[in-house]
Amino acid sequence: MLRNSRSEILVALVLIAPFCAVYGLVFVYPTIKMLLLSVTDAPLIGPGEFVGLDNYTRLPGERRFNTALWNTTYFVILSVVPGTIVALLIALGVNRLSGRLQALVLALFFLPYILPVSVVYRLWDWTLNFQFGVAMHVLDWFSIPRIPVFKTTTWFMPAVAFVTIWWTAGFSILLFLAGLRAIPVEIYEAAALDNAGRWNTFRKITWPLLWPVTALVLTIQLILQLKIFDQVYLFSFGGRPNDTMVLVQYVYTRAFVSNQGGRAAAVAVTLFFIVIIVSVLQFQLLRLAGNSGKGDDK
Amino acid sequence: MRNILKIGAGALAALGLTVSVAQSAETVLWWDFLGGGDGVRMKQLISDFNAAHDGEITIDATTLEWGVPFYTKVQTSAAVGEAPDVMTYHASRIPLAVSQGILQEITTDDWSAMGMGQGDFAEATWDAVTIDSKQYAVPLDTHPIVLYYNKDVLSAAGLLNDDGTPKGMDSREGFTATLQALKDSGSIKFPLGSVTGDGNFMFRTIYSLMGQQDGELMTDGEFLTGDNGDKLENALGVLAEWTNAGLQSTYTDYPATVALFTSGEAAMMINGVWEVPTMTDQHAAGNLFEWGAVELPVIFDHPSTYADSHSFAIPANAGKEMTAEKRAAVLEVMSWVDKNSLFWATAGHIPAYAPVTNSAEYKAMEPNATYSPLTANMIFDPKSVFAGVAGPMFDVMSTYFVPTLNGEMDPADAVADIKDELNDM
Repeated sequence: MLRNSRSEILVALVLIAPFCAVYGLVFVYPTIKMLLLSVTDAPLIGPGEFVGLDNYTRLPGERRFNTALWNTTYFVILSVVPGTIVALLIALGVNRLSGRLQALVLALFFLPYILPVSVVYRLWDWTLNFQFGVAMHVLDWFSIPRIPVFKTTTWFMPAVAFVTIWWTAGFSILLFLAGLRAIPVEIYEAAALDNAGRWNTFRKITWPLLWPVTALVLTIQLILQLKIFDQVYLFSFGGRPNDTMVLVQYVYTRAFVSNQGGRAAAVAVTLFFIVIIVSVLQFQLLRLAGNSGKGDDK
Repeated sequence: MRNILKIGAGALAALGLTVSVAQSAETVLWWDFLGGGDGVRMKQLISDFNAAHDGEITIDATTLEWGVPFYTKVQTSAAVGEAPDVMTYHASRIPLAVSQGILQEITTDDWSAMGMGQGDFAEATWDAVTIDSKQYAVPLDTHPIVLYYNKDVLSAAGLLNDDGTPKGMDSREGFTATLQALKDSGSIKFPLGSVTGDGNFMFRTIYSLMGQQDGELMTDGEFLTGDNGDKLENALGVLAEWTNAGLQSTYTDYPATVALFTSGEAAMMINGVWEVPTMTDQHAAGNLFEWGAVELPVIFDHPSTYADSHSFAIPANAGKEMTAEKRAAVLEVMSWVDKNSLFWATAGHIPAYAPVTNSAEYKAMEPNATYSPLTANMIFDPKSVFAGVAGPMFDVMSTYFVPTLNGEMDPADAVADIKDELNDM
């Protein structure tokens, strides 16, 4: 018995060794290096002097760090919950269709998701360009003054959040549809027999049974949007990059524009912990909410 | 038998030939960031060079993405000894590069080997590649900004001098009056097409206007000391005034500005000389009005124009010593391209090598010859590791220029914030 389990352990070790090696090489080792880098004044390339926690203690006083922190938070607020609601509504709508029509409508909603971010940027930049954008001519028809969407701080984040939802909703819709299809039809039939209205059916059956999927979508969205970079970087190009800065962009700017590897690493580590803490917290909260929902049903 | 001998001799000769070629041929790895219309012209120059040095030197050229990507790649590749033998470099980026130790000095011996020296370049240009009285690059050109104008529109509004240049180029009042007259003529949408949506770009205009008042961004490592802040405020003030009076396009990004001008919706445009080929080509195709380009108007005390310089630099490859033969080949590349840069001038840039700009051929080139005297009034970026195209100073400026130039922010507030933030760096 003992020998048997020992050889099993050996086989297991051999089997997971490649994964451990790759994981250690491309994740654990760089992460440790980054932690070490964040307590030095190293430039982008080459070593630096040990400076203790200076790179961290100076962060709260850096105006661009604060801007980036606020903008990231603002973006998360604008995109995570609204994006999930939009995806849920579309999924509910698509679910009512059937056959070829359903496939077609689903494909239409999913289409933006397959576009690379550069194409998304070009599309919306052309649409919303202040001088030549199509949308500006629509505003002209209604005699509404043109809006320099990506050049003012008022419109920048809402616009980028809107574009992001347009771009990424397709994936959440798929998840929701899978969740909706997993709900047994019998439950709805029973509800119909009991003369339950559409709203009651949704509130008492669909919503609680779909909750695990909703929680998953919210968590994926949260982690994704905390790490926002591409769209903000592209749309802010030449505009007001320092005012519309987000955290990952701040890491990039410190490292590649200002040539301060140590300080960039400190921001990256900070963001790393923010993502962990916020997502764990959110997941726990969602679980609690889910449990209390179930409690009501009993 | 004779035939066999012949073949044998031929083969031997061919073998001998290839051996001698292999011995003398040097391949020079070349990186540049010239992706636009000027990139096409540089490729032409490179193939001309290769043809002229057949069997001796071959340039193996690669074009990379302009800006941060290029400079990051240079830095990382030099650190591991994988940088090219020669590369294009912005003079404004040299202070940072020298502090990172990624450029080799161009020594006195190198200069004499190339047959060039300080006397062949404008003072400001030579100074721009010099750190602590050592040179780190060979200037190829200077690329200032100029004022483009639509001759048809200006002439119809009676705003052209006899020599075909715009009126009112000598004072703030005069130039504003010209803009106002263009607006009143009602024939165009904007008197001046301005890249007001891109603060990075506007740095060039605003720094020029500061230079017209002898303003300096950086003195002794401090930003905007003394009355330099006021001078920046003046510069922003005049541009904000044009916006408020409806004399220039607002929130316009770079491509849109060029489009406004070439479509005739904007009568004038301040832009880099690198747009000259765009205009020349469109005009040759019959798609463009009569146009011209002149030195910026004198808004303040005296003429002054911001310029940067494309130059050639030799990367300091870590742990990889360059052979004497390779270095000689690289020097030949740099000096040959400089001495043949008349063709480069068709890209709009002003060749840095004075014998070229002094030649009769260059003086016959238009509009290049009209604006090239501005080299006497050029100013370059302050020598700081924060300076340079796509550098951190650009980002700070940009953030405040866009709201100020579009009437969202008061110039005085912008200057106060810029000062704080620059000194934060």
